[in-house]
Amino acid sequence: MRRLAAALALLAAPVAPRAHELVHQVERGRAVAVRVSSPGGRPLADMPWEVYSPARPGTPWQRGRTDRAGWLAFVPDGGGAWRVRVVDPSGHGLVLDVEAAPPPVPEPPAGASAASVAPAPAPVAPAPADPGPAAWALRPLLGVAAVGAVFAVLVAMRRRREAP
Amino acid sequence: MHVPDGFLSPQITLPAWVAAAPLWAWAARRQFGRTPVEALPVMGSLTALAFVVQALAFPVPGGTTAHVSGVMLLALLYHPLTAFACESLVLLLQALLLGAGGVTTLGVNALALGLLGPGAGWLAWQALRRRHERAAAFAAAWVATQASALAVAGVLGLQHALSARYFPVPFPVSLAATMLPSLLLTGPLEGAYTLLTLSLLRKARLHELA
Repeated sequence: MRRLAAALALLAAPVAPRAHELVHQVERGRAVAVRVSSPGGRPLADMPWEVYSPARPGTPWQRGRTDRAGWLAFVPDGGGAWRVRVVDPSGHGLVLDVEAAPPPVPEPPAGASAASVAPAPAPVAPAPADPGPAAWALRPLLGVAAVGAVFAVLVAMRRRREAP
Repeated sequence: MHVPDGFLSPQITLPAWVAAAPLWAWAARRQFGRTPVEALPVMGSLTALAFVVQALAFPVPGGTTAHVSGVMLLALLYHPLTAFACESLVLLLQALLLGAGGVTTLGVNALALGLLGPGAGWLAWQALRRRHERAAAFAAAWVATQASALAVAGVLGLQHALSARYFPVPFPVSLAATMLPSLLLTGPLEGAYTLLTLSLLRKARLHELA
């Protein structure tokens, strides 16, 4: 009986440490990464953000803070428009919809027919990129021109009204 | 302080639009219709200048940015309603061209930044101008900045109370994040900008057109 117990203990010994073991897997290309920055290119670091899945738009799927380079990342579990909300407590911020591809289907077992192999996921639509410093410099000029046009119309209307 | 689209629910944005729309019509008719024609180009130039200075954001500790608005100057030279109309135009163009602020939040932003702020600043100017005109102009710009910041913080706090889904930051946090840069940095800068621009306009004798 003692021999049997000792044999069982020896057999169970390699299993016992696994109770505290954590396993992991590395998958590249699964996460959606978004970088937020000011128009001048300064990253919005340590800014709170939330992401909402298309399936449950009322409940945050994930919360976090941007890293020092202004990046946030999440791993969508389904395709569709995932809403990302970056919230500056002072009221600035950003709300954008990021189109995510459906997650890849697991590899079929060996010997599966070609017809049962799932198609490759559709490429993720790129988010609107930073238009660059030239565009950021030009847009204020466009605004100045628009203000000038509005007041030019006002002056023209007034002169026309007051003309004898 | 421009609240972007998506941070405020229709419970707030719709009443703000309803309140702002008749004020826009009234302000445009009253101010643009009665101001001498010769003054309109100066008014337009100051509005364009306000657009430019509002596009020049500088970083402040905490990760956010701040900027002067240049709108109190219009209230001092003309009338708070002129400032409201001009600032509303600036906010609309910022939303359309720069992606700053938003169209749904235009009513809220216009009321907070264009009406409440300049209105409070104008009252401070009226109370202090006889004692010391330059100090009164500086104080008016500072008060206007604080009133606008407080209004934005209040709206954000109200939104959090109504539905944290739109704005998840509690009121004490957003109040501190809004008011601290405003009290210490943006307010004094707005005062300095207002004083400097008033001085330049006087030297060029352009203020006589106001």
